[in-house]
Amino acid sequence: MLDTVREIETPEGVALRLRAAGAFGRAQAWLLDFVVRMAVFFTALGIFGALGRGGMGLASMLLFALMWAYNVVCEVWFHGQTLGKRALGLRVVSADGTPITLLPSITRNLLRVVDGLPGIYGVGLICSMIDPSGRRVGDIVAGTLVVHANDLPAGSKVPIVPAQPLPLPLDQDEQAAVIEFAERSPLLTVQRQEELADILYPLTGSEGTAAVKQLTAYANGLLGRP
Amino acid sequence: MKQEQFVASYAKEWDTLQSWLAQLDRAPQAAMRAERMLDFPHAYRRVCHHLSLAQARGYSREVTDRLQQIVQMGHRQLYRPPAPRWHKVAVFLLADFPRLVRQQWRCMLVAALLLYLPAIVTYIVVLWKPTLAHSLFTARQLADFDKMYDPANNHIGRSSGTDLQMFGFYIMNNVSIAFRTFASGLAFGVGAIYVLAANGVILGGVAGHLEAIGYGGPFWRFVVGHSGFELTAIVIAGGAGLQFGLSLLAPGRLRREIALRDAAWTGARLAMGAFAMLIAAAFIEAYWSSIAALPDVVKFSSGAGIWVLVLWWLIRGGAGSRYAA
Repeated sequence: MLDTVREIETPEGVALRLRAAGAFGRAQAWLLDFVVRMAVFFTALGIFGALGRGGMGLASMLLFALMWAYNVVCEVWFHGQTLGKRALGLRVVSADGTPITLLPSITRNLLRVVDGLPGIYGVGLICSMIDPSGRRVGDIVAGTLVVHANDLPAGSKVPIVPAQPLPLPLDQDEQAAVIEFAERSPLLTVQRQEELADILYPLTGSEGTAAVKQLTAYANGLLGRP
Repeated sequence: MKQEQFVASYAKEWDTLQSWLAQLDRAPQAAMRAERMLDFPHAYRRVCHHLSLAQARGYSREVTDRLQQIVQMGHRQLYRPPAPRWHKVAVFLLADFPRLVRQQWRCMLVAALLLYLPAIVTYIVVLWKPTLAHSLFTARQLADFDKMYDPANNHIGRSSGTDLQMFGFYIMNNVSIAFRTFASGLAFGVGAIYVLAANGVILGGVAGHLEAIGYGGPFWRFVVGHSGFELTAIVIAGGAGLQFGLSLLAPGRLRREIALRDAAWTGARLAMGAFAMLIAAAFIEAYWSSIAALPDVVKFSSGAGIWVLVLWWLIRGGAGSRYAA
């Protein structure tokens, strides 16, 4: 399937689903972090400025901490989330889905030097657009991954209609297809909805708008709604 | 078993685990004290088993998604890495870091040559033809150097600024350079080679120029104290960058991705050691090297002492059986 879900098998033999975050969301998180850090720095600069020349030394150290340490501290001690990532619902994890540790976090943040190279994150942007999991160079080298932290319960966007039980049992993929159809059909034109729903004539026993309604009702049944 | 029966028999178990996991996110201390904690691995594996069953039996997404969510939450806690310990920082600095430097001695040697050879050559050339300093530095930079190392200046090595200001500046500047040296090694080591050689040329150029105009005394008195930590840290950061780039060129028997990851983790640890060394260097540079009033014998003997200490630490640190892995 053409999406960014990475399935990782756990030692218990079940699959974890990690939804990798794309370049756009990550850029937004970075921008938010940037604004926050600038705000902190300039507020502190006002305070340190009152301390004279020695205050400039403290300001340099603060700038150093914001530049190099901020990301590592946030990722290791605050569940893989900087403030920007928290706001955007992103999280940094190890490639195997476990929480990120100190060394990979240091590595991925030191490599911002490479990712940020021509101007503002040129290498990082291109790399995360090419990589199927949206990783930048630092992520690939450090063995980390940025994922969406809040898993939307699947099917939460299915329109609510009275549920109907399926006339015959469907397997997992078929169920998923029915739910995803019900979820996405409001985004399609009526003609396309009907065209797709007609394929399932053997299941619904109806055609056109009736078939679309029937499938939405089945999807509600699959999601356990009344 | 019908889906309804399945949910009815186990739903309570799932809810208990899920609420405990949610509590662990909100209030870890209280959750760890709860008696249920002892059951966690067992309860988690049961839910994994239930998920597999639900998938195999084709139960609806309602059930599998719910179980999937609990499994994700549980996995994050069960396979959580141990919390970082402060004790490890001391062990790293005293034993692991020197060992790591020795393990990468080939890259370190090359990095040292890349820094010191250009430095010595530039130093000799500039001493021999002092006008060449003008092709290395602008007139303004030269004027700054002259002011910083003027024998009449009672704060050597700076034209203005207090100790604390310079301490902050040295940390920001020097550590950023060290980190960039390591990271830019990714480009087949070219970045690291460039930083090392360029710093060597600048170092030799400044030294040669000041020696030639007769300000050599204050210059050597200034650098002798912190150079032990600072130059060695730059060499180590450069060596870390070289082995990083080398892993991409010659990954050996590993796949490139794996070789690169190993080298990056090694390099990151070396960079952290260099970071600690540069903090020490910045402290010495700001608070000790700049004192002009001390007699030569104190300056040079303390500087030599620091060099011996640094080299002894890197050569012998962690060598005893006490730290054997």
